[in-house]
Amino acid sequence: MENDKKDNQNLKDILFSIAVFCLTFAVNLLIQRLFTTQTLVPMIFVFGVFLISLRTHGYCYGIAAAIVSVFAVNFAFTYPYYKLDFFVEESIFSAIIMLVVAVSTSTLNIRIRDQETLRIREQEKLKADSEKERMRGNLLRAISHDLRTPLTSIYGATSTLIAANDSLPNDTKRKLLGEIQEDSEWLIRMVENLLSVTRIDDRKVEIVKTPIVLDELIDSVLMKFEKKHPSQRVETNIPDEFIDIPMDSMLIEQVLMNLLENAVLHAKGMTRLGLTVRMKGTDAVFEVSDDGCGIPNEIKEGLFTGSFVDSGAPVDGKRNNMGIGLSVCTAIVRAHGGDLTEENNDEGGATFRFSLKRNGN
Amino acid sequence: MGNNKYKILVIEDEDNIASFIRTNLEINNYQVICAGTCEMGLRMFSSHHPDLVVLDLGLPDRDGLEFIQEIRKSEAIPIIVLSARTSENEKVFALDLGANDYITKPFGTEELLARIRAVLRSNRHCSELGSIPGGRFQLKDMVIDYDKRQVTIKGNEIDLTQTEYNIVAYLSEHAGKVLTYASIIQAIWGYSDYGSTKKLQVNMKNIRKKMGVTPGERRYIINELGVGYRMMEE
Repeated sequence: MENDKKDNQNLKDILFSIAVFCLTFAVNLLIQRLFTTQTLVPMIFVFGVFLISLRTHGYCYGIAAAIVSVFAVNFAFTYPYYKLDFFVEESIFSAIIMLVVAVSTSTLNIRIRDQETLRIREQEKLKADSEKERMRGNLLRAISHDLRTPLTSIYGATSTLIAANDSLPNDTKRKLLGEIQEDSEWLIRMVENLLSVTRIDDRKVEIVKTPIVLDELIDSVLMKFEKKHPSQRVETNIPDEFIDIPMDSMLIEQVLMNLLENAVLHAKGMTRLGLTVRMKGTDAVFEVSDDGCGIPNEIKEGLFTGSFVDSGAPVDGKRNNMGIGLSVCTAIVRAHGGDLTEENNDEGGATFRFSLKRNGN
Repeated sequence: MGNNKYKILVIEDEDNIASFIRTNLEINNYQVICAGTCEMGLRMFSSHHPDLVVLDLGLPDRDGLEFIQEIRKSEAIPIIVLSARTSENEKVFALDLGANDYITKPFGTEELLARIRAVLRSNRHCSELGSIPGGRFQLKDMVIDYDKRQVTIKGNEIDLTQTEYNIVAYLSEHAGKVLTYASIIQAIWGYSDYGSTKKLQVNMKNIRKKMGVTPGERRYIINELGVGYRMMEE
């Protein structure tokens, strides 16, 4: 591709140079016919060389044009006409002038172009950086807000327990302790998401992939999910044969956990939750689907970037870290060379889908 | 009271974590000694002769892995590693250096107690199970008869190949403890080469199939992804 572009540019430069040269030559012929004076001839050729050096890339076109122009002046426009005669001091002198014009124009031109490309590159980098910065800002804002709630509740509950330990009935103590545990578990999950983000944030660091057996992965995810949500059944459907997929298993487990937990927390009216994997060529396509309320259109945009978190009131007034979870999922899947997509099912509910390459490294 | 208690050395620099571990272990009838640095841990190890070490890898003075190396030069005392949630590599590395098990922070006390029990038991059994005939292993509805080299589930014999049986038996002898791919391969085939992990994984897949295990259903062996396998215990 790069080569094609270069060839194209070279061709353009050559055509341009030839066109300008022919034009200068023609103008000179015309002037020679109209006026009898010769004084304009070298000037017009210098102008032609200047134009060529200005518009083409690199030194060679300008220099070539300068040399050819010197020949042309010598051959066609100085006595003896239509004969080369190099012993005219004039022509040597004009050759030097033309060469100087060609080289200095080209140098200037190249310098300007280099600066231009540098500027564009810097601008692009800045744009990418600010995009990353913006996403990180969104995440941080959402998270700091979300961290405060459980911390407040843990702090409050422990203070109560310490201050009023003797007077509290056992039931209340148990309840407070249970809440502390619940909030800590939630904090753990949050911090794990944050850790994952920092782990893949630096694009230069390639994530380390090891081949993971598909049914072991799914079993491991289900085991963790069952521990947290013992009452929620997950219908699984995965291929029967031995399939291993290179991945960072800790991160992919987390994607699947986040997607399953999101369904439990947000898909209202859900009766069934499904986890399906099927092979499509060399890709393993993972799907988490539910038959709950689906994703409302107004939050669909920005669902994966974490930006909807601060776009309005939380959906249910409770802790709502779906956006964070999903932006983490997106980042993880992208780091594996895939993409996370979402669609509302025709029969209700939502499906989240991503694929991993079986032989991708 | 006291003398027949297991003595556990906890090497952890975070006071709060050390404190809750100590409280829990003492409630469960273990004798606990604590050390905050690797140096102090080594000193206490040689003066107190604990039965088990719970070791945090991120210590202020030296890497916890060095502690394992140091101890393993002369002692076979079980070591359980507390690892922050980082890469599998660190876990595999610690296990292959000679740690007996690992537990990922943050962990619940139940989990820690289970690991400690499993490691202490497997350390006691290690020599017994291999040598004493007539050994049996039972996990839920699965029974392994070491004499007959037979595995049954709900009384039905599972038709395993030699290798498959060896793997199941090996895992069961260390039930509750995670075994790395490398250590299983070493125990079953005696050598390892490129592709042995896959060979082991394919065998495990066949074992699951024959036992009728599907993801989320009927679990006997826990998959420690990227690390190894762990046979559950009652």
